[in-house]
Amino acid sequence: MTARQDHHGLGRRRFLTTAALGGATIVGATALGGLDADAAFAAPAPSLDPAIATTSFVEGRITGITGSILEVAGSHGDNSRVQMTNATSVWKVRETTAEVIEVGDGLYARGVPMPDGTVAADAVWVNIVNLHTTIRGIEKRRLHLAHGRHELVGNIIDGTSNASYAGRAPTSDLSRLRIGQAAQVLGAWRPADDSVDIVRVTVGH
Amino acid sequence: MLTTTTSLTPLVIGVLLGWTGAVKLVSRATVRQAPKTALARMLRSSERAGLVLRAVGAAELVVAVGLLALPGHPAPAVSAGVLGAGFVGYLAYGRAIAPESSCGCSANESAPITWRAFARAGLVLAGGATAATATGTWWATVSARPGVSLGLLAVAAAVLGGLSADLDRWWLLPVRRTRLRLLGHPLTGTSGGERVPAAATVELLENSLAWQAASPVVRSGLLDHWEEDGWRILLYSGVHTGRPVSVVFALDATTSRDTTGEPAVRVSIVDSDTGEAVADDLLTVRPRTVLPMAG
Repeated sequence: MTARQDHHGLGRRRFLTTAALGGATIVGATALGGLDADAAFAAPAPSLDPAIATTSFVEGRITGITGSILEVAGSHGDNSRVQMTNATSVWKVRETTAEVIEVGDGLYARGVPMPDGTVAADAVWVNIVNLHTTIRGIEKRRLHLAHGRHELVGNIIDGTSNASYAGRAPTSDLSRLRIGQAAQVLGAWRPADDSVDIVRVTVGH
Repeated sequence: MLTTTTSLTPLVIGVLLGWTGAVKLVSRATVRQAPKTALARMLRSSERAGLVLRAVGAAELVVAVGLLALPGHPAPAVSAGVLGAGFVGYLAYGRAIAPESSCGCSANESAPITWRAFARAGLVLAGGATAATATGTWWATVSARPGVSLGLLAVAAAVLGGLSADLDRWWLLPVRRTRLRLLGHPLTGTSGGERVPAAATVELLENSLAWQAASPVVRSGLLDHWEEDGWRILLYSGVHTGRPVSVVFALDATTSRDTTGEPAVRVSIVDSDTGEAVADDLLTVRPRTVLPMAG
């Protein structure tokens, strides 16, 4: 069993649950913002740890995978090498592991530049898209979306797709979506058929 | 029936070409849309593309008038067929060199080249070929068999309308809306028993004081989440005093930003190598004060 799989192991989960429940309780709200998929498009708060001097970002298409290193061709002609670690979070529609990353996928990564020129990734978002769309059709398994001049199919993923209505918390209830609504769609692009797996639809924002 | 269809074809193709030609020729949208068309890419000039679009529009109008006024004459029918073949060739070439651009088929539409554009151009080609074989005039056919003619014309209008992307807003969305109204919302019952999705818990965490307290340590995005005894556990990785750590949060799995304004979050930092809890002064965190707004 690799360290990455062990990461998801039941024993490890139980251990971490015990640790979490035994930890300090902090009550209160703030508006700092997150490091999750939504926040892939925003810079994180600077680290106070002196070991981490700078944060860098890598964006582009994966052209090759060598061991734990991803070769990335950036949209502006630049090339980067992204080093995956045991601590790197991987998002591809949902939290997952580095094994699901494929050549040809789009990538957005945040990490720390290393002396050898690679970027040690803290977090990697694969094929993430955040699109301003209009809902043009609603079916059981998918939404038809218009993004600018483009017709787009948004696949509904059971247990993952959720909706946020008028600034409220995300809910798995998608039945309040309406044809003609402006919708911000966070999701993962599927290179195979150019559709988008919907993670969140935000309407009435 | 076949003779009826054949003799009505000049009317159908004539009206279609008359409409698309008139739109291309007189609409101001032609100039506005020209830069987005595949034609502009081919000619490397939006102005030239605009001129060519207008010229094609004029040609379509001439052919349309010919089809409508001289239905028995082969010249307009052959011209329509040639126009159709030209459209198919243009679409194929445009799709190959600039798949993202629009076809400019009726100048008003900005949809990229799709199978519908090909189908419509193919119908113009087939319609031209069919019209060339027509013997009678369409008005004689309509007056002789008005019922069948109107039925066929309605079908032709529906097919051509369905293949025209710029007409979608007139019929596609209303049809889809009506279907939802009649058959019910297809996504009713997706609420999964009103459970709070993990995304809502993550959002609640990200708006919590605990998140602010732990943010200097957390480096990764969400690594994993699971539920145990009504708690939702969210796992991140991070760095604390130079050592790799796991940062693990526990929140009530039934709460979200909608149900609580003051989330209670348990947080613990565990050394990834030793498994020991890292003693930390996270509890000393104070809410950040809101800076006064200017003005």
